[in-house]
Amino acid sequence: MMSETQDLGHVASAISNEVMIEINQMNKWFGQFHVLKDINLTVRKGERIVICGPSGSGKSTLIRCINALEEHQEGDIIVDGIRLGKNLKNLDHIRTEVGMVFQTFNLFPHLTILENLTLGPIWVRKKSKAEAVETAMKYLERVKIPEQADKYPGQLSGGQQQRVAIARSLCMNPKIMLFDEPTSALDPEMIKEVLDVMVDLASTGMTMIVVTHEMGFAKTIADEVIFMDAGEIVEKNAPNAFFEHPEHERTKLFLSQIL
Amino acid sequence: MAIVKAERTPDRRPPVSEATVLGWLRKNLFSSVSNTLLTFVMLYIIYLTVGGAFKWGVLDATFIADNRRECYDNSLTGACWAGVIHWLNNIFYGRYPRTEIWRINLGGVLLALWMAPLWISRVKGKFLVGVSVVVFYPFLAGYLFSGGEKGLFMQIMVASALVAFAVNMANMLAGLFSRQGLGTFALRVLGQDKATGKTQRNVLLVLIAIAFGAAFFWQMSWTIQSVVWTKWGGLFLTLVISGIGIALSLPGGILLALGRRSKLPIVRVLSTGFIEIFRSVPLITVLFMATTMFPLFMPEGFVLNKLVQVIIAVVLFNACYMAETVRAGLQAIPKEQFEGAHTIGLGYWGTMGLIIMPQALKHMIPNIVGSFIGLLKDTTLVSIIGLFDLLGMLRSISKDVPWMGLHKEPLIFGAILFFIMCSSMSKYSRHLEVKLSAGRKR
Repeated sequence: MMSETQDLGHVASAISNEVMIEINQMNKWFGQFHVLKDINLTVRKGERIVICGPSGSGKSTLIRCINALEEHQEGDIIVDGIRLGKNLKNLDHIRTEVGMVFQTFNLFPHLTILENLTLGPIWVRKKSKAEAVETAMKYLERVKIPEQADKYPGQLSGGQQQRVAIARSLCMNPKIMLFDEPTSALDPEMIKEVLDVMVDLASTGMTMIVVTHEMGFAKTIADEVIFMDAGEIVEKNAPNAFFEHPEHERTKLFLSQIL
Repeated sequence: MAIVKAERTPDRRPPVSEATVLGWLRKNLFSSVSNTLLTFVMLYIIYLTVGGAFKWGVLDATFIADNRRECYDNSLTGACWAGVIHWLNNIFYGRYPRTEIWRINLGGVLLALWMAPLWISRVKGKFLVGVSVVVFYPFLAGYLFSGGEKGLFMQIMVASALVAFAVNMANMLAGLFSRQGLGTFALRVLGQDKATGKTQRNVLLVLIAIAFGAAFFWQMSWTIQSVVWTKWGGLFLTLVISGIGIALSLPGGILLALGRRSKLPIVRVLSTGFIEIFRSVPLITVLFMATTMFPLFMPEGFVLNKLVQVIIAVVLFNACYMAETVRAGLQAIPKEQFEGAHTIGLGYWGTMGLIIMPQALKHMIPNIVGSFIGLLKDTTLVSIIGLFDLLGMLRSISKDVPWMGLHKEPLIFGAILFFIMCSSMSKYSRHLEVKLSAGRKR
């Protein structure tokens, strides 16, 4: 489905030379099943990468490996200069630096929106409550739902919940934001409000990796589009080239199916 | 035909059968000949039983008499409540010295006051109130109930409990009158509300230290008469055992449940083994083990009082049941919640304490309260191993010479007491469910 966001044209990016994420020859198995094969990827600060591919191609698993929700078995993942491994201290540190937004929002249903947003800053970043609330309200303004602060997640629409989820991640002041199919569980009329927030975020120079099938959105923000199939990175290109002249057969097939 | 309906249809009233009393009666009680017949039969049965009970228990009953003989002289077909009334003090307090009963009542009043802030929405710091009840109240109540000379530890704990109680009450008042926490309120009164966080903290610490000193010197000036635990009994003893059981079995159960789900194999195996062993044995066996076998394993001369052993047994037994209830609640929490917590950097205890447990416990309120009710009723088993709890007291009425053979009335009275306690617990749990689920409704 093409989203209206494509009309915005490409959002200018400010990529620096500093490497935020480096993945070398990474392999991962689920039991016997080889999900990720020889993944190599470098993401620089401010760079925005869109990953697409058929379901089961390992794209979600890849970004879940980046904030250590999944363990990889071979190769290296270095995030913000820290090598992911068994070291628990490192993992906690990485997770505070890497924000993640899920397909299913994963808000905490027993807490109000404001409490959802201030929980991390207060308990993990050890900020004062007043400061945390101030930051939270700032980001709620940014995702355009400050008036929902005292409601519970269950009282919000899917699109609003997802925007809260984005704000919740931003409250931790992350260096990298990961999006795992953020609009796949949403009704069509709500997709745009979430994508708009993400485009806005992109314009602030955030390093982003987005797994999505919203090709219009990909054209708007991506510096690079990656196509994955069967656990491998099959094709990688700038968005225009990727969509206009896909090179690999599998990419062509995939694009013909979704466009 | 493109447009099916051009205008909106206005709402109409429902049919009579849905909305009126008559409609309800017709639908539910008199919908057919057989249903009507059944309704009348049931009404007759209700008349027989309730009417009979009322006649026996109220109309023909004797309330004032000195012994069972007099009851019979007064009415042969009515209840003899005089025996129960005569024994009322023992039913409530056991053989606690009559002149010291105020201590038990005071303990109850203190507990009620201590917990009161939890139900007042204006009061701040409810979590600390809850913690202070569990941590400090037992020492204060323990000393109040058993009395005697205070050792140094007991002196410190009694003084701390007094301070905690005073702070709690002051906090409640501050909340009621200014909608602020006590800390903020005190700082404002002292003119320190603009000071830095560090100064504020020091000011509050000094205040608490002064209060502690005052409480400590005050409590040194008095002691209360010692009352041996064997004198404890009746409803009081039942409430002590079940109260401690309830207060400790929930945290114990939570720890065991976490242990059973732990990634560390030794913790997991130990927790699982502990839970399974206690769950596969009847409580009465555990009680016998605790009171007769356990002392055999202890070194010579090591005497633990029987009440403490019983309480430990009750707590451990119920903690294991609670653990399984909590575990069921934990399993109902989707994996996404753990991931959500991880992505904002919470570690294991943060995730469990702030995200997972609150939700799991909320789901499990009916079951948890069900366990509490079971625990309360199960404490009657201690009468078998020779403690005079409520049931033990009620049964000993029939062995008292003037009331020889009076079984029915005391037991019915006991049933009414238990019904009141248990049904108010379940009422409260339903109230909690509604209150806590308010946020989830759309």
